[in-house]
Amino acid sequence: IPDFGHKYYLQFSTEDYRTGENAGSCLATVLYPRKKSPPVVSIKCSHTKDQNEIQEEDNRLYQRIRQQSKPITGSNIPDSYGNIEPALEPAWALAVAGSSSIMWEKSTEDVGYFLAQVKSVKQWMRKDDVIEFDYTVLLHEMPTQEMISCHMRLTWLPGHPLKVKHFCASENRRLEEGSGLGSGSAAGLSEERGANL
Amino acid sequence: MRVPVLLAALVAVATCTETFVGHQVLRVVPTSHEELQRLQELQGLEHLKLDFWLAPRGLGSPVDIRVPFPSLQPVKAHLEASGVSYSIMIEDVQELLDEEQREMIRSSRRLPLSTSTFNYEAYHTLDEIYAFMDLLVAENPNLVSKLEIGRSTENRPLYVLKFSTGGSNRPAVWIDTGIHSREWVTQASGVWFAKKIAEDHANNEGVASILDTMDIFLEIVTNPDGFAYTHSTNRMWRKTRSKHSGSICVGVDPNRNWDAGFGGSGASGNSCTETYHGPYPNSEPEVKSIVDFVKAHGNIKAFVSIHSYSQLLLYPYGYTTTPVPDQQELHELSAKAVAALSSLYGTNYKYGSIITTIYKASGATIDWTYNQGIKYSFTFELRDTGRYGFLLPATQIVPTAEETWLALKVIMEHARDNTY
Repeated sequence: IPDFGHKYYLQFSTEDYRTGENAGSCLATVLYPRKKSPPVVSIKCSHTKDQNEIQEEDNRLYQRIRQQSKPITGSNIPDSYGNIEPALEPAWALAVAGSSSIMWEKSTEDVGYFLAQVKSVKQWMRKDDVIEFDYTVLLHEMPTQEMISCHMRLTWLPGHPLKVKHFCASENRRLEEGSGLGSGSAAGLSEERGANL
Repeated sequence: MRVPVLLAALVAVATCTETFVGHQVLRVVPTSHEELQRLQELQGLEHLKLDFWLAPRGLGSPVDIRVPFPSLQPVKAHLEASGVSYSIMIEDVQELLDEEQREMIRSSRRLPLSTSTFNYEAYHTLDEIYAFMDLLVAENPNLVSKLEIGRSTENRPLYVLKFSTGGSNRPAVWIDTGIHSREWVTQASGVWFAKKIAEDHANNEGVASILDTMDIFLEIVTNPDGFAYTHSTNRMWRKTRSKHSGSICVGVDPNRNWDAGFGGSGASGNSCTETYHGPYPNSEPEVKSIVDFVKAHGNIKAFVSIHSYSQLLLYPYGYTTTPVPDQQELHELSAKAVAALSSLYGTNYKYGSIITTIYKASGATIDWTYNQGIKYSFTFELRDTGRYGFLLPATQIVPTAEETWLALKVIMEHARDNTY
């Protein structure tokens, strides 16, 4: 749109991340005013599952996590060989959902992301019914090909939207070689953005 | 895998009901007829449940006896009382059996003895892949040879397998995998391709007809330093492991280091980034060795560089929007190749030039090879589209290799049938 920006018209189908089953299709328009983010988005989707089914699945996932007697912890999910331990699947599933909100916030007209790996997960046990996880996730950034390390704090109660707070390393791994750290897990990931959860 | 027959028999028994905890194997070397007699007496005492591994034969011949734990005391007392000296060969039979079991499990994970027992459905280390190459050459000496085209920054050999049925400097196809080390499904597919070529040739099917008139060069681990690093330290490492003076960080993106639009936008001048093009074209030995090889050979007709992930088939250019002169032919050939690929498992691929399909990239491999006159220059981005990305489960290695091979065959056949 001359002198204003770019408008994209999208039609796409969605699939269940776990099973690969068709989950519905969507129609959307995305308007980028002069390459600034965030864009203006309007979207309408049809779901193959109805609300009850979705709620049931959510509850099942919730119960599965609540039934664990010990806090869930793990690292490198999937591992180098693409394996995900069955016991860590629920934590991974929540990470996928939570990361999507980070990617939604970070992506621009020219830069997109994929979730490359969950580097670490630690569950925080709470006195109430809310499930809380602390993650370090690696996002694969395109087209730069960089691996961005993000700290993500996620809380969830079925029937409520996922609450995600994140802080991503912004520096380009200039510290990597000096500190001997691995993939972009920069040392300065201590601060949390924003107030209480 | 050599397993002592006796122990194997014991293992078989042990897995049923018996255990050999505390059993000992004693050795006696009779030096007098009296001693020999003592030992023969022992044979008759059935209630002791002795198991003579080496029965008494004559003077000077060792007698080995497995003694169950409950019988140890009486047997030793009997021997000592008669002044017969003995030594304890095995202190605890069960311990030895357990160790042997562990060893058997361990050795089944060690290097296979032939390419028929090699596990194509798993990811392997650099050593395992290099050992595989030697096995393949040894098994197919009239078809396969291993060339060392150079050395990496960390002095690892850069090996290319040459598949040839003869001739002299025949027109050739080049395939490389693993130029970006974290793209593990590509090296794994390269191993499968190597075996497939040898198999087809042996069975006179598939690419056997291509090998009648063309040679195939296959570099499976194009970036061995990076690959070793993904195993030892950082699974997500992409670049080489070079350290250039003036650079703060390690590594150059080998797919931005070629002399085609080098240094332009579509690569980075910052050594700490994943798309760092390096200080100058061909600064990386991994790249230079291929450049030298291609120039010296002079008769390569198709060049395919394999990456993951995204499920794309790409042709030049990446550094400019100007279409290549052979755009139409390459586009049509891509369509055919992708159709062949999808026919196997329904995997969806997109295709087109690098810059229109994926993004602008300068100094990319196939831009250089195309400009050298290698018309059929292609890059693949294999499975998947982001769910697992680089961490593709090993179960997908063979299906990925199988479907990709169909596309490669289309390209190779076209190169064979359209000489230039």
